[in-house]
Amino acid sequence: MAEKQTFPLDDDNETLLFEKLQEHILAHYPNPERKGCPDPAVLKSLIETPGEVTLAALNDLHIFKCAECTRILMELRKQKKHEASE
Amino acid sequence: MQLPSPSKLCWGIKLPPEQKWIEKAIHFAVSQIWQRAHCIARSQLGDESQTLEMIEIAIGKAVHRLQLNSQASPEDVTQLLERLYLQEVRYRRKANKRLVLVGASEDLPSNSTHNPQSLVDSAIDLEIILHNIPPEVRFALLLRYSQSRWNEIASVLGTTEASIRLRCKRALNRIRQKLEDKEHGL
Repeated sequence: MAEKQTFPLDDDNETLLFEKLQEHILAHYPNPERKGCPDPAVLKSLIETPGEVTLAALNDLHIFKCAECTRILMELRKQKKHEASE
Repeated sequence: MQLPSPSKLCWGIKLPPEQKWIEKAIHFAVSQIWQRAHCIARSQLGDESQTLEMIEIAIGKAVHRLQLNSQASPEDVTQLLERLYLQEVRYRRKANKRLVLVGASEDLPSNSTHNPQSLVDSAIDLEIILHNIPPEVRFALLLRYSQSRWNEIASVLGTTEASIRLRCKRALNRIRQKLEDKEHGL
């Protein structure tokens, strides 16, 4: 039986899947008190120099359960894209 | 419901002196989740009568886990305790086979984003999906979430793109299925 294709228009990098995951995390994991969040500098490194970041510094999978960290990552990505286009 | 005194918060847990930090962290965690725990029990199980028992069970599990680790911050312990409490609520709600809502509608948040039921389901589901994933795969998923591309992730992890994609495939399929189910209201 063929494997079920749930996001038929997704690309090789599963961009759509990760966008949906991001929406889900933003909607379901509010963390206004930023409990357990990694240092913003670590999030910045995750975007700019991912090879220098460790799982421990990210507090394991915390980001997948934190809308606040997700927002910061979105902002950092936007900045990186902006800087690259200049 | 009023928060019990600190001496009653850890319900008979005996810890050696070097692990006294666990007791303090648990005191803090219970005080942090106390009100919310009652709210969740009321909306998920129909009343608050099981709250203390469920917190006790969550404390027992949390202490067991913390004894296996080195120090953890009070915030981390709070998160752990809340997760274990939500897990216990989930078990009981499943056992009941039916959802009972009592109280006035204004007791419940109007925004579905903050609906305790939704939070329980979402938190537990992702918890299950991501449970027992090897560290390298966890890291790869986080890197992809931060918009690194698979070839960049492979380079960071010192492996091939095909290899890391294959290792992430199972977790991605499960996440995809969950998001699909959510879209269809399952």
